[in-house]
Amino acid sequence: MTQNKNQQSTDHGAETAVALGKGLDVGTANLAAAVQNADGGITVTVERNAFLDIPSDVYSKNMLTKLKVPYVVHNGKLVVIGEAAFELANVFGRETRRPMCDGLISPNEQDALPMMKMIIQKILGEPRVQGENCYFCVPAPSLDVDNNVVYHQGLFESLINKLGYKAHAVNEAHAVVFAELAENDFTGIGLSFGGGMANACITYKSIPCVSFSVARGGDWIDKNVANVLGVPRSKATHIKERGIDIRDPKSREEEAVAIYYRSLISYVLQNIKARFEAGQNMPSFQNPIDIACAGGTSMVGGFIEVFRDEFAKIDFPIPVGRIFRSEEALTAVAKGCLVAAAIGES
Amino acid sequence: MESVQEIKDALSARSRTATLDELRSEGRKRVRLVRAEHIAAMISEAVNTAIEHSGLVGPDEVERLVAKSRQEFQAILQQREQEQRTAQETEQTLEDRESELEALRAQFGELQQSLAQTQQALAAAKAAPAAPAGAPTELLMSMMQEMATMKANMMHQQQAPAPAAPAGADLTSAIEKLTGSLNDRIEKLGKKMGVSAAVDSDAPLDLGGLFKDTGKELESNMQNIEVKQQSGGGIAANLARLKKLKGGG
Repeated sequence: MTQNKNQQSTDHGAETAVALGKGLDVGTANLAAAVQNADGGITVTVERNAFLDIPSDVYSKNMLTKLKVPYVVHNGKLVVIGEAAFELANVFGRETRRPMCDGLISPNEQDALPMMKMIIQKILGEPRVQGENCYFCVPAPSLDVDNNVVYHQGLFESLINKLGYKAHAVNEAHAVVFAELAENDFTGIGLSFGGGMANACITYKSIPCVSFSVARGGDWIDKNVANVLGVPRSKATHIKERGIDIRDPKSREEEAVAIYYRSLISYVLQNIKARFEAGQNMPSFQNPIDIACAGGTSMVGGFIEVFRDEFAKIDFPIPVGRIFRSEEALTAVAKGCLVAAAIGES
Repeated sequence: MESVQEIKDALSARSRTATLDELRSEGRKRVRLVRAEHIAAMISEAVNTAIEHSGLVGPDEVERLVAKSRQEFQAILQQREQEQRTAQETEQTLEDRESELEALRAQFGELQQSLAQTQQALAAAKAAPAAPAGAPTELLMSMMQEMATMKANMMHQQQAPAPAAPAGADLTSAIEKLTGSLNDRIEKLGKKMGVSAAVDSDAPLDLGGLFKDTGKELESNMQNIEVKQQSGGGIAANLARLKKLKGGG
């Protein structure tokens, strides 16, 4: 509490020096909020977008408070929120409940809205001025599933506005371009490999020419790994996130993760290639363009090497220069949203 | 009483009906009349007497046999009546099915006719010169606009005063027909080409109502929990580039 209050007061104290505007990455697996700090850098607050309900009793409440595990009492149940929910689920061999699925708000978790609101409120903090700009990311329409982006966008717009901000939506992969392709005058391909989806945006001088998504991401890898290994999904997520290198799998489990990673990357590349070949609304680039990858799913060891490997296998229709992964892969989308918010504020 | 009815039936089956004139013509002036009940009683009495005199069956046994026979007769009668009802129902069901079949045949005929018309239209469309590749929606929209203008002109003419009453009435009716037909065609064409006449609001969706219940304070320890924070590289360079691109730097 004290520390948070201090953080708040620092922000308030620096109101004149720090530009307004906040960026919010509404991801299937993680929620991240970015804000400029007084040192000229940015501060990103990340929380896992998951929760777990356990029976409510006084002992459990006291224990959770002692262990500094965030909880909410909802409908008579004790709901553990964020990273702790994920850790507890692993301990008890249970599945976490996920408010979002395939990049969008999950129709099966309608009662998760209060929990999501609390997490977003916690990571965004109070607006420094009423109606401060908050740019949040939304996925592009999917090529492979029929999804309702309009509802998802409208829902988060309303939620963020209710918190006292002025909400603006920005395409997720476009945010990657804002964060990573400044040196290229924001021209190139931004890719966001998230938990529920992979988003792609092809931009020319910051203007998005084509953007789309595919409903495959980290969750798709987890689901398939869990199926082939016969383990719960949260266990598969744990295997994936414990620091493996997909170029050099050390066990049967890691082998499964590597296989599905390669398949995901290949799938995304094939779809980008197909869009270029279709040629609709595609700019003709005079120079080779860069491809920037970001998102939590891209953080696995060996990701970018496997990406380059798969890229070399396909006959990509345009010349490509650098292929790189963001140094801040998990927070790049939030950072891009912050760039958009700061420009919006100015 | 059943035995009386049976005897009546037996007499009816084994006798003939003649009118008084017919009897008269046969030379009969008087006839003897006997009631079926009396005949039944006589037969019953005669049978009982005969059986009693035979010494084979006692009077109680006779009563029992008679009762049992009546019972069997009743059962058989009910069974026959039930069979008759079932037969009638089956006949009714059969009639219903036949009429349903007739209706389906008629429907099938209509569908066949409709299919043939659609196939003809398709063949005609294929035979017609193809629209240029990727025929833009704008072209379609302009066609529709043109048709709509024609319709509006006609409506205008319709509202204008008619020069002569009888001729004006005919013209108005003709224009009404044509306008209605044009309306239908415009709508059909639009639907076929995926251009809807429906209008969409530009106002953003307000889903704030979904959070009505989330405003209330939930018991939580969130305010006492620290959240993970990371520091990242600044965005000054990105903003400068963007401003420059937008012509502001």
